[in-house]
Amino acid sequence: MENKLDYVGQRVPRKDGPAKVTGRAKYTVDVQLPGMLVGRILRSPHPHAKILNIDVSRAKRLKGVKAVITSDDTIGVKHAFVDTPRYPADEPTIAKDRVLFVGEAVAAVAATHADVAEKALGLIQVDYEPLPTVFDVEEAMQPGAPEVNPGDPKVKEPLANIAGKTESGWGDIEAGFAQADYVRKDRFESHLRTHGYLEPQATVASYEPDGKLNVWTSSQGPFFKRAKLAQTLGLPFSRVRVHKAYVGGGFGGKVDLFYHEFCAALLSMKTGRPVKIEASREEIFTAYRHGEPLIIEIKTGVKNDGTLVAQQFRIINKSGAYRGTGVVVIFLAWGFIIGAYRVPNFKYEGYAVYTNNPPRTAQRGHGCPQVRFAVESQLDMIAEKLGIDPIEIRLKNARQTGEILPNGDDVNNCGLTECIEKAAEHTQFNKKYGRSRPASASSGPVRRGIGIGVSSYITGSLIYPNSSSTMVKMNDDGTVTLLTGALDIGQGAETILCQIVAEELKLHMEDIEIIAADTETTPVDIGSWISGNAFVTGNAVRVASTEVREKLLSIAAEELEASLEDLVLKDKHVQVAGSPSRNLSYQRLVALSIQKRDGDPIMGEGHWRTVRGEPYHPSLATTKGRWSDSYAFGAQVAEVEVDIETGLARLVRAVTVHDCGFPINPTLVEGQMDGQVSMALGHAFMEEVLMKEGRTLNPSWLDYRMPTIHNTAKSEVIDVITEQYEIGRPYRTKEVGEGYVSGILAAIANAVYDAVGVRLHTTPFTPERILKGLGKIK
Amino acid sequence: MKKIIELSVNGESAEFLVEPQETLLEVLRDHMGLTGTKEGCGTGECGSCTVLVGDRPILSCLTPAVECHKQDIITIEGIGEGNDLSPVQQAFVDCGAIQCGFCTPGMVLSTEVLLKENPNPQEKDIYKALEGNLCRCTGYNKIIEAVHKASKQMVAEQE
Amino acid sequence: MRLPKFEHVQPSSREEASRLLAEYGSRAQLVAGGTDLYPRMKYGLTRPDVLISLKGLSTTPPTVDPNGDLRIDALMPLADLARSQMVLEKAPLLSEAALSVASNQIRHMGTLGGNLCQENRCFYYNQTHTFQFIEPCFKRNGDQCYLIPKGKKCWAVFPSDTAPALISLGVSATILGPKESRQLPLENLYTGDPLKPLAISDGEVLTDVLLPSADSLRGTAFVKFTLRGGMEYAAFSIAVVLDMENDGILCRAARITVGSVGARPIRAGKGENAMAGQRLSKTLFQEVAKRVATEANPFPHHGYSAAYLRACLEVEARRSLTQAAEQIT
Repeated sequence: MENKLDYVGQRVPRKDGPAKVTGRAKYTVDVQLPGMLVGRILRSPHPHAKILNIDVSRAKRLKGVKAVITSDDTIGVKHAFVDTPRYPADEPTIAKDRVLFVGEAVAAVAATHADVAEKALGLIQVDYEPLPTVFDVEEAMQPGAPEVNPGDPKVKEPLANIAGKTESGWGDIEAGFAQADYVRKDRFESHLRTHGYLEPQATVASYEPDGKLNVWTSSQGPFFKRAKLAQTLGLPFSRVRVHKAYVGGGFGGKVDLFYHEFCAALLSMKTGRPVKIEASREEIFTAYRHGEPLIIEIKTGVKNDGTLVAQQFRIINKSGAYRGTGVVVIFLAWGFIIGAYRVPNFKYEGYAVYTNNPPRTAQRGHGCPQVRFAVESQLDMIAEKLGIDPIEIRLKNARQTGEILPNGDDVNNCGLTECIEKAAEHTQFNKKYGRSRPASASSGPVRRGIGIGVSSYITGSLIYPNSSSTMVKMNDDGTVTLLTGALDIGQGAETILCQIVAEELKLHMEDIEIIAADTETTPVDIGSWISGNAFVTGNAVRVASTEVREKLLSIAAEELEASLEDLVLKDKHVQVAGSPSRNLSYQRLVALSIQKRDGDPIMGEGHWRTVRGEPYHPSLATTKGRWSDSYAFGAQVAEVEVDIETGLARLVRAVTVHDCGFPINPTLVEGQMDGQVSMALGHAFMEEVLMKEGRTLNPSWLDYRMPTIHNTAKSEVIDVITEQYEIGRPYRTKEVGEGYVSGILAAIANAVYDAVGVRLHTTPFTPERILKGLGKIK
Repeated sequence: MKKIIELSVNGESAEFLVEPQETLLEVLRDHMGLTGTKEGCGTGECGSCTVLVGDRPILSCLTPAVECHKQDIITIEGIGEGNDLSPVQQAFVDCGAIQCGFCTPGMVLSTEVLLKENPNPQEKDIYKALEGNLCRCTGYNKIIEAVHKASKQMVAEQE
Repeated sequence: MRLPKFEHVQPSSREEASRLLAEYGSRAQLVAGGTDLYPRMKYGLTRPDVLISLKGLSTTPPTVDPNGDLRIDALMPLADLARSQMVLEKAPLLSEAALSVASNQIRHMGTLGGNLCQENRCFYYNQTHTFQFIEPCFKRNGDQCYLIPKGKKCWAVFPSDTAPALISLGVSATILGPKESRQLPLENLYTGDPLKPLAISDGEVLTDVLLPSADSLRGTAFVKFTLRGGMEYAAFSIAVVLDMENDGILCRAARITVGSVGARPIRAGKGENAMAGQRLSKTLFQEVAKRVATEANPFPHHGYSAAYLRACLEVEARRSLTQAAEQIT
């Protein structure tokens, strides 16, 4: 069968482009239902307190208030991102006896009008008894620190407030350091920054008299939300339907179950009316989940030629008041260390620690940006000490095709070396590095620097729901409907899945209708938070399409009296290769199928999961177990300019050379890279959620300072192709949407050092920190 | 005290009974069902609520509807003709300048205004015109490309 | 986020606005573009019963008075100000400052008067207080400061970009009251008290500003220092006006105003004095810049430390003086 690709690998325009550009696309908050009530959440003003009493009577009596709920109205089931014997679910849906952070939900109201709901909140009387607090993780870990959350796992250590621990290692770490020619130890810290999705969190819940709960919610995966809602509300999964809604960005911040989702649902169940809860932008900054800040301590030993011999890590995740994804990030952080370079002797300890801050969550890269910033900064410091250039030291240690990782994963085709070489060549890295020249002859105090950052990321992995299923059904006229649980959160999921159908069945994009992300009408999907849409769901789509193709060919072979090998698909027809007049349209084939195959229409189903040999996901505690069939690799170069008098720095140019396997849609891939470059420069230079004793100081776009159009960096993307798409065969792509914040962040850190000789161990690289590093201020 | 106001939205006039504190954004979305205009913050910092009032790009989340009495308002639903996209809209689609789409209506309206006033904008003009429209997905690269593309298209159409 | 309830009154003249304002007293506030007021109302920081809207009033384009002064209507939207040919010609400093404000949308909504009469700002103040920083600070009629916990006063800064530019241009403001009109140098409009930043009483409306014509060779420069370059309040701003002797070499007088680092715009008088009668030179600029930074004595604000602000003030003061010198016409 010929493998000429018409759709996969092409710059196919987004399917949902017209809907979005005309304002027709409906997001959760655009959903209007008859009789809909407005819900609001009452939030704790204390970072830690006992709830002595809640009196909702005055609120209930207010005209227009239809329901007021507290934890007494719930079934008391706790939830969490991870719920295992080691890490039992520790989050109440509404705070019960105590509040653990400022912003925690204490009650909720539903009223006929927003103003009434607001007033009702003010009428709820809560009596608190403040308790001792702790906000700093290292203080929180000290024995005797105030206890934040009694949800301790079975971690036996003389440390306090441990939410979780991951340990891993191989080889002989002490012997490794003994063999090394040069050993250095460094500490890095990443800061609190946030997703900044433009669409605020919102949920509409509508509980019907027949016991069916309908939900629209801004999320990153409807099946995960359904499970959590069903469990916490005590409803069977089949009675909870999460509908499709367009999503205005997620970046990791919309995965967990949120108070407003649970409360909207419960309020609807209580009132029998639809309830909409929208978080204000301020609430998102103050009470919702931001990206996990990590403290990373690395001790590395190398040979004089730069070969890594031993590496030891201690990583502390500032989890906040609940475990959340905190116990996952300390596992993932390990994963993002071991992918890129070979390290024969290794020891890793990761702690997730409770504090009285709002719980944190995954943010694009989920630990990878923080880790690569640390590892790559230290590697440059080592290279400088040894007199080796940054390119050489990376080439020396880079993983190669076919290497088996310590957890048993095979990296398969690995283009990392090519990525590094191409990145260096394309940017003329070695010509520029180390010169610290002015940006141009006349620019005076502005210095330019170049830096490189290497990273590796996993593609799809096992975590509930673990697999994706899809269905392709052919309509009578030969067009097709694709049913998939996949959710497009802006990355272009719907478009690339249709491209795969188009390719497998030689249809035009206009011939494919996609019905997606509805837990009732579409099959299960892994969700858009595990970097697996193109690889896992894509393969499921391919399998479903293949079944359709096989049925088409089978009937055609019979009807045309040809053998299967002689048939080709072209333009919604099956024809005999070389005799195009001998053909049958898909429309005809569907009719024939009904006639000749006992009334069966032409449909296909496809299922896919990764790491098929493993029953479930690897151990979060020990890292044992395989977790991915596909590793992405990249080398990214950043060129920055730094004003040595004001410390103001900017990213001028970003080059991403990535082993993506192959791109399904180059325009969408570039879009992902541009967005990640922007996020990285924001993380590096401008963004920070500033907190004081559990409260947020800058809960607005203006003061959080995300990149504006003024901060656009030139972003170039070069694909290193290590895989290919073959019609009818399983393919391997590598993720492109999460892992590339990391390399640019790391490259920026190294570029700033190259520009001005200031090595920063803490993000963000604020102008003040740069000036301090230059000795211009104390 | 409620007031009766007359708004001309996307070329069609209608009367509304509104409270003074109801914003234009609320009237567009809740009274008229025109949900294309979005609330990204409610305090004028992100541009998602941008509409055109008498040719000016303004933030509907900070505009009481009563102050738009008898004004001509254009929302994203009023851009393009029927099912045909405007050159700006088409350029956004063609260049991959849309990802999650939430900032898109506001971004398109700001671009329409820019190109009307300045058919051949320099990079710095584009920055000044769009600095009030935040985008988290695209990094702005392809949005800038789309503005240039639309500009070329519109200049060509004039000739 | 929603606006609280209010009554909306639309007077048909500035005089009527002033009368109504006096009548309603503290129950009412004036609003033009509203880009400063409405967010504060949404945060619950101010709850006027009545808003007296100036939006419907017609505005006069910038005109030169018989005595040569340029009169600018306070109700002029900042976007119009930024692209007015008259202003570009006569006061490019003001065009620059107006163009630096916020975003294109806000410049189309917000007026010069609104920008000059905006409230002081602080992280702890400019947010909702239903579950954060509930105990009121000084600015919210309480008795503490969150920014400087041991402090005995408010440290909210006055962030207007156009004010420093206009003060350096020696502008006077016309204030219309219920009984009379008065004129004062713009800098006297600002009290320096963050709790009551404007020297304006019940019933008074800022109607226009008067820019005296430049009667000498002049060079100006404006810098608004931000982290990102747009859609941001200034870390600080500096407006420099150099009036030269006829030879174009000696400086007759300088006006240097620093914005956003104090409760009001700060005239760097010592720095200005050091310029007067001097020949322009790199050394002079360095010396004056040091004085400006010291005199400005910046408050820490919005995440910037006083030390950082001081260091950068010096750098940017030097750069703006240099730039102003290069612009002399």
